[in-house]
Amino acid sequence: MWATAFRLRGNDLVMSDKDDIETPVKTEVAPVLEGGDYEPAEKSESVNPSAKLQSKSEPVVSTRKRPESKPPSGIETSEVLPPVQLSQTPGNESASKDVPQSGWGYWGSWGKSLLSSASATVATVGQGISNVIEKAETSLGIPSPSEISTEVQYAAGEINAKENENSPMAGPFGVFSTISTAIQSTGKSVISGSLDALEFIGKKTMDVIAEGDPGFKRTKGLMYRNSTLSQVLREAKEKEELQSASEVAMETDKKTHYYGLLFDEFQGLSHLEALEMLSRESEIKVKSILNSLSGEELETLKLELEQLKEAFSLAEFCEEEEEENKGDEDFTKELTELVSQLHVSSKSEKLASARNTAYEWIKTFQVTPLEEKEECEKQLEEERNEPVNKVSIEDIHAFAIRSLAQMTACSIELFHKAAALILHGGKQQVTAIERSTTLSQMTIVLCKELSALSKEFTTCLTTAGVNEKADVLNPLITAVFLEASNSASYIQDAFQLLLPVLEISLIENKTESPEA
Amino acid sequence: MAYAYLFKYIIIGDTGVGKSCLLLQFTDKRFQPVHDLTIGVEFGARMITIDGKQIKLQIWDTAGQESFRSITRSYYRGAAGALLVYDITRRDTFNHLTTWLEDARQHSNSNMVIMLIGNKSDLESRREVKKEEGEAFAREHGLIFMETSAKTASNVEEAFINTAKEIYEKIQEGVFDINNEANGIKIGPQHAATNATHTGNQGGQQAGGGCC
Repeated sequence: MWATAFRLRGNDLVMSDKDDIETPVKTEVAPVLEGGDYEPAEKSESVNPSAKLQSKSEPVVSTRKRPESKPPSGIETSEVLPPVQLSQTPGNESASKDVPQSGWGYWGSWGKSLLSSASATVATVGQGISNVIEKAETSLGIPSPSEISTEVQYAAGEINAKENENSPMAGPFGVFSTISTAIQSTGKSVISGSLDALEFIGKKTMDVIAEGDPGFKRTKGLMYRNSTLSQVLREAKEKEELQSASEVAMETDKKTHYYGLLFDEFQGLSHLEALEMLSRESEIKVKSILNSLSGEELETLKLELEQLKEAFSLAEFCEEEEEENKGDEDFTKELTELVSQLHVSSKSEKLASARNTAYEWIKTFQVTPLEEKEECEKQLEEERNEPVNKVSIEDIHAFAIRSLAQMTACSIELFHKAAALILHGGKQQVTAIERSTTLSQMTIVLCKELSALSKEFTTCLTTAGVNEKADVLNPLITAVFLEASNSASYIQDAFQLLLPVLEISLIENKTESPEA
Repeated sequence: MAYAYLFKYIIIGDTGVGKSCLLLQFTDKRFQPVHDLTIGVEFGARMITIDGKQIKLQIWDTAGQESFRSITRSYYRGAAGALLVYDITRRDTFNHLTTWLEDARQHSNSNMVIMLIGNKSDLESRREVKKEEGEAFAREHGLIFMETSAKTASNVEEAFINTAKEIYEKIQEGVFDINNEANGIKIGPQHAATNATHTGNQGGQQAGGGCC
């Protein structure tokens, strides 16, 4: 398992260092996937129960991961659709599918901590490293630059030992030399280039992915620049605006498909921008306060801020994967509860109702697909000239994208309002750390919900598109999963924007309370 | 859909002067007497036409409550226009204008066009601030001035549109650097369409995986 995971990261890292052409890189990745390297992975799967669990839940993982951490779809588009394929066509390609999945599934959860901190706007690099190292089952402190390379080698050595116990098949050399280079170069880029370097790795990976999957190109474009999240999204929206403007003459309603446009229509972009402003302002304040302190005071505060940061690192998503179908009220209830735990007067109704609308739509679709077709035709004012069946899957797709955009926009609005209210201050019944924990739980709940929703939608798509050709249906399914995955990333990034807000809230509460 | 420019506006002023009502009247053409207090900032958008060009107004409606003041200041950045609103039936909201103006000038770019608005002009019987006073204040501080009623929609369109005209003129005069987004102005797809057709086509292909 580890071997595969590290090996893959290794490739990414190495190529980022070289900054070389993409084609050779791609060929480098592919053999790792299809070659003998996952033999040890398979072996250790029987030893490691969690690996099995993750291999089962691969689609969920892919939805939660940041877009750039989605290599499976890059290698083969159909990899994105395992839930559908697994349930619909058992046996079909099962051998070729199962094997890489286990590897990828693990890679996903492993890579997440690194990747999400790479692209999350305010994640700290130190955290990323420590997550990685913790994952490697060693407990190292936050190392100094010079320590990193030595300690990391040590860490790799330890894995080496472990790995040998678990899977004697793994050739110690081939695998572990890669591990240590991988980690070493991680360390190096972290220190020298910090976030930029990590982001670059992500982008480089995206290039490779995009090679094989045209559907990915858009996301690649999305992530391509060094910019804030709202900039990225705004650019995407503008691109779509441009497109839809040029398409207006022929197809008026095509714009219903554009996630970015819809996200903006639901004011997601504005809320994100506003949240970024609050975040930036808070960050500046925190920095200036830290600069004004010294000695013990500074150390205590730093320690507290560190705790806050820890509360902000998202827990593993992969734990209770298969408890789906939690019922409609549960999400709403959970969300309301979490919001109330924040002790801010923001409301989750909008988000909850957006979510419920989506589920009601799905429900009616499942009951009476035929009627639904008519209804959604009305709703989305699609062209009626096309064959009924085709209109239908496009409608589902359009509605899915719309729902995802709306839920994401509402989630970001919720975060923005929470930030405003936290900054608004007043009496604090809960500590900043408690709020952080609640917010990170909320992030997980939201991402899970998006993932569940996208699964529902793709199920609808498969049902409605039984008679469709794969090259018609699959891109739609891929797009839904892709946007769900993007949505989850945006929410996670927005969540990270809350950290400085809570930091300043912690500091202010601290300075206020002795006086009171 | 396509627009030549996008202008960012902020609406500021004391709580209860009708900022959110003005926005709602402008974007939805309706009046809602009872409102939740605005938390932080709310948003609205509408397309207008000036000089034959489509302009998208993106409006940030800020919270008026004193306790939100430090937060709302964060939102001023990058606004091209501001509507500074007071209530003609409440003298204190007029008296606070100087503070608001200082705030706005301090936290946004110096070229920002500010429109002073005396709202609730339908409540003539309860008027506490004369129109002349508003005019005088505006003249003194170099603002545009209008009295409006969010309830009857009187002058609401004009307030938003005249502000946009002023910004547009400043762009023509070269006062605003439209390539600097900190000025609250962005060039829209319509404007860029000629040199971006190529990109547009590419975009179409890219999205093909998603929608075709």
